[in-house]
Amino acid sequence: MTHIAFREDDLALEVDYVVVGSGAGGATAANALARGGATVALIEAGPWRDPADYPSSTYGAMRDLFDGWGVGIAKGRALWPIVQASCVGGTTVINCAICVRTPEDVLLGWERDLGVGAKAWREGLWKHQEALEVELCAEVVPAASAGRSNLLAAKGAAAVPYDGHPMTRYVKGCAGSGQCLQGCKQLKKQSLNLQFVPEVMALGGTVLSCAPAERVLLEGRRAVGVTGRFREPVTRRKGGRFTVRARKAVVVAASVTRTAPLLAASGVKHPLLGAGFRAHPGTGVIGVYDEDVDMNVGATQGWASVQYRVEPGMKLETLSIPPEMIASRLAGAGAELVARMGDYRRMAMWVVAVRAEAVGRVKRGVFGEVSVDYGFADADMRRLRKGLALLARTHFAAGARRVIPGIYGLPYDLGPDQVGLIEEGPLDPRAYILISSHLFGGATMDRDPARGVCDEYGRVHGYEGLVVADASVIPTTLGVNPQHTIMALARTFAGRLLDA
Amino acid sequence: MVTFYPRSEQFPGIEDMDLDAYIAQYRRECAPLMWAGFVLGTVFFHLTPLFTVYLPLPAYALSDEDRERHAQRLVSHPIYYVRQPVFLLKMVAGLLWGADPAVRARLGLAPYPADPGTWRTS
Ligand SMILES: Cc1cc2nc3c(=O)[nH]c(=O)nc-3n(C[C@H](O)[C@H](O)[C@H](O)COP(=O)(O)OP(=O)(O)OC[C@H]3O[C@@H](n4cnc5c(N)ncnc54)[C@H](O)[C@@H]3O)c2cc1C
Ligand code: SF4
Repeated sequence: MTHIAFREDDLALEVDYVVVGSGAGGATAANALARGGATVALIEAGPWRDPADYPSSTYGAMRDLFDGWGVGIAKGRALWPIVQASCVGGTTVINCAICVRTPEDVLLGWERDLGVGAKAWREGLWKHQEALEVELCAEVVPAASAGRSNLLAAKGAAAVPYDGHPMTRYVKGCAGSGQCLQGCKQLKKQSLNLQFVPEVMALGGTVLSCAPAERVLLEGRRAVGVTGRFREPVTRRKGGRFTVRARKAVVVAASVTRTAPLLAASGVKHPLLGAGFRAHPGTGVIGVYDEDVDMNVGATQGWASVQYRVEPGMKLETLSIPPEMIASRLAGAGAELVARMGDYRRMAMWVVAVRAEAVGRVKRGVFGEVSVDYGFADADMRRLRKGLALLARTHFAAGARRVIPGIYGLPYDLGPDQVGLIEEGPLDPRAYILISSHLFGGATMDRDPARGVCDEYGRVHGYEGLVVADASVIPTTLGVNPQHTIMALARTFAGRLLDA
Repeated sequence: MVTFYPRSEQFPGIEDMDLDAYIAQYRRECAPLMWAGFVLGTVFFHLTPLFTVYLPLPAYALSDEDRERHAQRLVSHPIYYVRQPVFLLKMVAGLLWGADPAVRARLGLAPYPADPGTWRTS
């Protein structure tokens, strides 16, 4: 079992496969390769934090788990934050572990439009998902840990009416602590720092943490390894250089915002590298009830509706956030703002994630930060308004007294007869604060090298021994939470590498 | 920051918390870009009362009421690039205020345990 964290002296290794990034894609790919008998080195930019190391506060989560304090920005007319993690296990440490199979219509669209994923490929993907559900204990949120916010959403949706359901998550016996975004200290969430990464080590693999890869080493058009320098997580001081040679292939899974810039910095040439960025940006409507809701009690996200996934293109979910996040989310300042916080216990927040048409481009930030050019299309703004209005109606159907839409230019709160104001709300994206956490693209798959960076097994067109195995390869939005798809793709790609 | 989250009947204000230690910690720990944004936001906040409450004074020299009015007008300003820098200040302040044990107690929540800030070193 080898784990090498920050160190001052240089390190050189040689393995069959080097995997860059230990998130949903990277940890799954490394694990599949190790299970297949290969020697693997898994290289992670962030530190390895165990549940005992997890923070509790949002400040701590931003400092200890988020990539660059979460200052990644999608820049269009508005500046919207992009949230991802940087630690062993990647974003699976801070996500809500919602597990949804890749919808068939999405995969058929890929086959039709991109020549990616014929029947056998699709069926293979779903088979991997079936297996992952067993291995990662996918479970419907138990009623006992649902929490009032999730139960109210179910009640509201049934009354509106539209379809909703308790979520299925990779969580074994959720204790309902509402702390998924800070890491699950209860050891219930099956994040990949607890699951696949330890198994990679048990199978003889090596994990390097605090080890941001700077470059994929290329010899001509063949990827032969990875190099970078260790970085101390607190001071960001640089340590020794690591160089890991790959006898068979380099697998890059550094996330949508990091993979394309890393490949570009390594000299990989493709006109579409960084292009095709897509997302499900989301924001919430807060309902204020007569009774205490205590949204921090219960699963952080426990209820969802996918009824509108295809038309108009959005997903509705509950999301509990702590007081220190609500404090800046509410409008106002001073005595007025503090008085508004007095309603916190009676608030429930539900969000709409828009399956956006907009397409952007991932870039390397001037200071190495995450940077994406991404502007919302008008059609996306209309989807957003529809979703927010539906959430407001759902709150009222569940018994809310008023809702807080969080839209600039609208009154702070609205009553049941004012939902039309949301529906007719501004189309200017600057009136909303949306957060993007479901990201796609930057090195998308397409059978045709002129239209995509990778083929259907993540192999970078025109290069040998270079595979992308994270959400960067996903060529469209999914309309559902992406982790299950990313992991199944990573297994598919790893399987192909082993077969070769 | 005090202007955003003042003391009220229900809650302690940010002035009741160890704000200096927090700012020093934030400066030490946050990403350089965030610190730059925070400093810019603070300077911006102090230099703009003339355009909000029409007083030719920096914000720190205003009365509490005027400073609060100034803050309210900035956070609801029609120009996006006026609202944004102030939003960062409000967010950084909110991270301290909303996580304070006394505020959490008023909201029926147990205090947060300390964030260990540790990681696996071997
Ligand atoms: C708050 C939040 C909640 C979410 N909830 C859900 C959910 O419930 N269900 C779901 O399906 N999806 C959810 N998602 C989305 C999901 O977590 C991501 O889509 C998924 O983790 C992305 O996988 P990935 O492998 O592409 O990247 P990540 O999981 O982000 O992993 C990338 C890893 O690569 C590392 N890395 C980056 N650069 C380098 C480098 N140069 N060298 C070495 N390592 C590097 C990063 O530090 C990171 O650890 C959520 C996301 C967020 C932010
Ligand atoms: S709600 Fe709490 S117990 Fe349940 S998975 Fe999230 S962090 Fe773990």
